Amino acid sequence: MSSNTICFFLLMVAAGSLQANDLEAVLKTYEANGAGPFSSQQGAEQWQRVVTQVAKGESRSCGDCHGADLKTPGRHAKTGKRIEPMAPSVNPKRLSDAKKIEKWFKRNCKWTWGRACTDQEKGDLLLYLRQH
Amino acid sequence: MHRQNEIKVWDPLVRLFHWSLVAAFTITWLTEDEWMALHAYAGYVIGFLLLFRLIWGLLGSRHARFSDFVRSPASVGSYLKDLLRLRAERTLGHNPAGGAMIVALLITLLFTTLTGLLAYGATGAGPLAEPLFLNAAYGSELFEEIHEFLANFTLFLVLFHLLGVGFGSYLHGENLVRAMITGNKRA
Repeated sequence: MSSNTICFFLLMVAAGSLQANDLEAVLKTYEANGAGPFSSQQGAEQWQRVVTQVAKGESRSCGDCHGADLKTPGRHAKTGKRIEPMAPSVNPKRLSDAKKIEKWFKRNCKWTWGRACTDQEKGDLLLYLRQH
Repeated sequence: MHRQNEIKVWDPLVRLFHWSLVAAFTITWLTEDEWMALHAYAGYVIGFLLLFRLIWGLLGSRHARFSDFVRSPASVGSYLKDLLRLRAERTLGHNPAGGAMIVALLITLLFTTLTGLLAYGATGAGPLAEPLFLNAAYGSELFEEIHEFLANFTLFLVLFHLLGVGFGSYLHGENLVRAMITGNKRA
């Protein structure tokens, strides 16, 4: 194995371990903002909550797109498109990238609940999703 | 309309193109991920503006044409050196560095628009949704990442563009922003 290959391999390992720590870092950020402690039970309750958006005249919940079983693919409620499973145990890419976590919270809290999620809610949801 | 000793440099369509592009780019920048419908419409506008400018670069008035302002990398380099020595020659149309910036902006914006269409299409929206993404999974992180990078790179280029406009205005004692509004420059 050339030294270049070894360097590349070490870089990939480093990048991988950084990713694994992204979720912890995200939770720490929420805590630094005054949220926490987080509860996966609260998260589960929020995941299943059906919210009526008066402006849209529609009720929505997380499962509308992600499906009832987090380990199987979901279907987007509006477009019918496939959504990769949420459970990190079957889809290791989930919850592994801080930037993507925030991006999808931003979009999907607005889409589903009609408002931004609080840091407390996001932490609870992450703990719930992490168990799967 | 002309002040004394002024001549028309930028034709009305070049100016309309320029300021429409400024407005549309500002809208896409501000609506990013917040107001997707408006973001997409402003993006379509940018796409059509770019197509127009590519055609106008072949058929437009003298200083609008690519043949008037696209120079070799060597002459762009020597112009930049002159610029740093505060000895750069004044040009009526785009100077060599300005011309290179126009090309860079057009190319970057073209690819930004294209990847935007692809990212949008992957969510089942826009003109590419059916031809390219009919049976694909929802969304494309890859196209979004590239689109975001290119948009940031465009803004980076715009900053250098403004820097160049400011520097050129100072060096030759003329207001280049005003010239892009009125179309006129000192003869």
